[in-house]
Amino acid sequence: MSLDNFLNKLSGLVQELEKDLNEAKSISGLEEVRVKFLSRKGRLAEVMKGLKSLSEQDKPVAGKKANEIKDKLLRLWQEKKAYFETKQKEEQLKTFDPTVPGRIPDFGTLHPITLVIEEISDIFTSLGFDVVQGPEVETDFYNFEALNIPPEHPARDMQDTLYITENILLRTHTSPLQIRTMLSRKPPVAAIAPGKVYRRDSDLTHSPMFHQIEGFLVDKNVTMAELRGTLTLFLHQVFGKETKVRFRPSFFPFTEPSAEVDISCVLCKGKGQINGVPCRVCKETGWVEILGCGMIDPAVFHMVGYDPEEFSGFAFGLGVERVAMLKYGIGDLRIFFDNDLRFLEQFKG
Amino acid sequence: MLLSLNWLKDFVPFEGDIEELAHRLTMVGLEVEEIVEPFSYLKTVVVGKVVECQPHPNSDHLSVCRVDVGKEILPIVCGAPNVSQGQFVPVALIGTCMPSGFTIKKAKLRGEVSCGMICSQKELELGDDQSGIWVLDQEFSSLTPGQDLISALGLDRYVLDIGITPNRADCLSVLGLAREIATLFSLPLSMPKVEITEDDQSLDYEIDIPAKEHCYLYQARLIEDCQIKVSPSWMRFRLLASGIKPINNVVDVTNYVLLELGQPLHAFDRDFLEGNKIRVALAGQKQSFTTLDGNNRKLLATDLLIWDAKKPVALAGIMGGANSEIRENSSRVLLECAVFNPITIRKTARRLGISSEASYRFERGIDQLLSPFALQRATALIQTLAKGKVLKGLAACEPKPYAPRYVSFRAPKVSQLLGVSISEKFCHEALTKLGCKIESKATGWEVLVPSFRHDLEREIDLVEEVGRIYGLDKIEAKLPKISKTLDQTGDPKVAFLRKVKHWSKSVGLKEAINYSFVGSKVLNLLGLPEDNRVYVLNPLSEEQNVLRTDLLAGLLHSVQVNANKERFKLFEIAKTFFKDQNSETLCRENNRLGIVLAGKRYPSKWPFEETEMDYTDLKGILDHFLTIFVGKEVEFVKKQEHPFLKPAVEIVSQKENYGFLGLVKDEIALQYDVKNMDLWYASVDLDKVFETFQQYTLKFQELPKFPATKRDITLVCPLHLCVGDVFKVIKKVKCKILEDTCLTDIYFPKDKKVKHVTLRLTYRAKDKTLKDKEVDKMHKQIADILVKELKVTFP
Repeated sequence: MSLDNFLNKLSGLVQELEKDLNEAKSISGLEEVRVKFLSRKGRLAEVMKGLKSLSEQDKPVAGKKANEIKDKLLRLWQEKKAYFETKQKEEQLKTFDPTVPGRIPDFGTLHPITLVIEEISDIFTSLGFDVVQGPEVETDFYNFEALNIPPEHPARDMQDTLYITENILLRTHTSPLQIRTMLSRKPPVAAIAPGKVYRRDSDLTHSPMFHQIEGFLVDKNVTMAELRGTLTLFLHQVFGKETKVRFRPSFFPFTEPSAEVDISCVLCKGKGQINGVPCRVCKETGWVEILGCGMIDPAVFHMVGYDPEEFSGFAFGLGVERVAMLKYGIGDLRIFFDNDLRFLEQFKG
Repeated sequence: MLLSLNWLKDFVPFEGDIEELAHRLTMVGLEVEEIVEPFSYLKTVVVGKVVECQPHPNSDHLSVCRVDVGKEILPIVCGAPNVSQGQFVPVALIGTCMPSGFTIKKAKLRGEVSCGMICSQKELELGDDQSGIWVLDQEFSSLTPGQDLISALGLDRYVLDIGITPNRADCLSVLGLAREIATLFSLPLSMPKVEITEDDQSLDYEIDIPAKEHCYLYQARLIEDCQIKVSPSWMRFRLLASGIKPINNVVDVTNYVLLELGQPLHAFDRDFLEGNKIRVALAGQKQSFTTLDGNNRKLLATDLLIWDAKKPVALAGIMGGANSEIRENSSRVLLECAVFNPITIRKTARRLGISSEASYRFERGIDQLLSPFALQRATALIQTLAKGKVLKGLAACEPKPYAPRYVSFRAPKVSQLLGVSISEKFCHEALTKLGCKIESKATGWEVLVPSFRHDLEREIDLVEEVGRIYGLDKIEAKLPKISKTLDQTGDPKVAFLRKVKHWSKSVGLKEAINYSFVGSKVLNLLGLPEDNRVYVLNPLSEEQNVLRTDLLAGLLHSVQVNANKERFKLFEIAKTFFKDQNSETLCRENNRLGIVLAGKRYPSKWPFEETEMDYTDLKGILDHFLTIFVGKEVEFVKKQEHPFLKPAVEIVSQKENYGFLGLVKDEIALQYDVKNMDLWYASVDLDKVFETFQQYTLKFQELPKFPATKRDITLVCPLHLCVGDVFKVIKKVKCKILEDTCLTDIYFPKDKKVKHVTLRLTYRAKDKTLKDKEVDKMHKQIADILVKELKVTFP
């Protein structure tokens, strides 16, 4: 075969391909064109067979041209393909439905008790408190005696206890962590201790298991004003800056002076009524009890070997369920421990 | 403690607003829990005057009356035999809801219209008399028709329900609260006048107290010729308003004085006491005693009893005996007024489960100096009400006289501790107002505290008192400066557990919190061991009598609650509890992560395939967890036997057992209403994981510089061969260029008892681009080893 002949055949392929490409109507038609021209047994390969019969002298020229033509065929084909693809995408875009439901991963949720504990823990850790924890099964010593509640003290009536043995019990409050922490550290000590507590009490407003957060600070010259400041800051963060805070004298064996803290009712904003209807949360008083607190009793300091003349401190304890109920508007305590999905899945945040 | 406002006014001339009083009391630590209207049901009951009374034309026992109720004259049909013209009577107007629940309506009785009801004492729950209508003018004067009954009879409109904290024993009486109110409102306090006319005859009675440390003071009076009857209405009304049921005049007086002065008293029928002697002694050999409520009480040798010459007659400070109580025909009354050791009383009362008004006060402490006055007060009242003859003198023994208590006090301590500036002058005034006497010394003050304030023992107690009077609510908020030392860090486990919670949430699990205790029945159902359980000694119910030894025991409750849903994926992080003699609490607590899965894999059908969750879902979650928190190789090993799972799989490494997972046995799942769903459960030992996690530190690895080559291999395996075994064999091959192995397919050809397992192996060298030949060689070597070790073939 002569070189000219070979080159003509090659050049002819371009026109042939262009014609076929023009006739192709779709991507699948295009594939037929590719097979016809560019596959191993296609038209290009067929023409290329002629290369062998060319003289050694012509071969480089023919080879070079053949590559050019090959590239061109491929380019033409790809351009057409790209044209079809763009067209197809445009077609698809015309029917694109942005409202179709997505593949949503499952919503994991944290229990509202956890949400409240974490929120409060974060507030106190930002103030410099450590988070500590301890056993739920406790000795009488840590739960009562070291907290200035000797046996046969009427204050034991304030908490109905679930016992394991005569001297071992399910902790009735998180206050044992005061003792455990103070025994293991020297002042300054600032810690909070969230956790489960247990009482022998079960009705509409009492659950035999619930959660408390204990907090305490011991250092030189700690005052009740600082207790008030700490709690006010915390209550403002949890319930909003407009929340009013009230200190009422009370009694706890391990603090003195002791106070109960009320906040202005979160539902009626302290008005006692909503549109003339008595508020169900505060029972018209405008206040709701939120926690107990006080200055750590010197007797407790003696128990842990701190000198009350050198150090003073405050402590507080609050019920997590109570905070959660007020914060989220939950009316029934028992719903917390049923774990009904319809309840749990409301706490997606 | 219920405080009658009328009664209070006997002591302090308080004329202010009830709401204000409640608020002020609350703000000094006497929390008013409720303003009670004890007789609110009488709001529409008024005084009526019977102006006309005729026999009913159609009845032989009814009368037709016309009753003047002030605004109008009502026709009322009355069935009482004692109704007659001119009487002042209580009339329940139309609309009144009687205590029995019956509402008064306009009615026709045998043809006669009746607009209201003339009531008896009993019907109004103001007494026991139900013989006829209550003729008011026999007992009360200056009645006017139309007057509301509450004011006409001097009943309490309001009563304060006050929560008294255990330290304030002194406020468990009208007097005690009056004292506080007098201090608060700067009002004078006046005590009731007591006059007794003693008989010439002297009392011949001996008090013997061998149990000296248990009884501080015992006094008695003897009153003879008493007429036991109903107390006058003023006394009954006050008792009723205070929540105490009137019984008879003598018993009522003891209760009245208890409420008024805080001193419990007991009245014995002298005729049932043997000898002329009261002995206060421990029970000793005496094993049981019948109290006046009819209960036979088992005694301990250490219980304190009151004895006559021969037998016990009262459970000291708690309850009198059935053998000597005041009856309708009693006439000689021995009146006891004593002070007992609070701890002695509390021990017995608590053990026997009795909390009487008396024991409640004895446990908290009595004002011993007031005790003689209380006895006088009660004696005088009995003399007046029961017309008794008071024998001259009293029998008394006081093994432990009250010792005045002095407390050292430094006024600057108040400002120091409260963080506000409170002057010495204020401290002085506050303490004086509260009844303290102050003497100045070089080092500070010596404060003599009043005998009724058992709670004032230390300087801090006085600091609190000053703070209370100053008003804790007036203390201004300040933020503390919290200083830290280098050795202080929070508990890392707290942070770890929080991390795990957030991980659980991130993989789509919802957090459940269940009770730590369950019924032992549940643990038995799960086939868990019995010998390591921690039981609750005094559980609220059989359903809460043991601590969980496996989280599933509690999670099953959540499972049951959600069993009717299409799917649920829950987790719980909580402790399990095991008996442990070596622990100071006799208990080992183990933090665990529990996961339950059941039902559909995806929340909606579209755009997902509708499939059920299976082992791979749970295992995938655990693989994810272990990669993050354990970070080293663990194996999933099938267990032949498990008490509640089948199949059951253990998660183990060389050293540790991290937990287990599997399918909850059908018969157990069914008991919790799980039908047509598989219930998958995993339990992870977070304490173990934490140990590993703490040692595990993230280290960056250089990114590879040379390309990888991937080769697939398909093995024809016997059905019983675990994929893990294939991985294990590959892992053992010493091959530096094998970077990763992953499963790409498991295919079960039809009608053949084999499975085709396809793996993708990734080869890469650290220092060069691998040549095909090198990879081929290695790949073949691995294939040969697999064939040799696992008896697999190629398709």
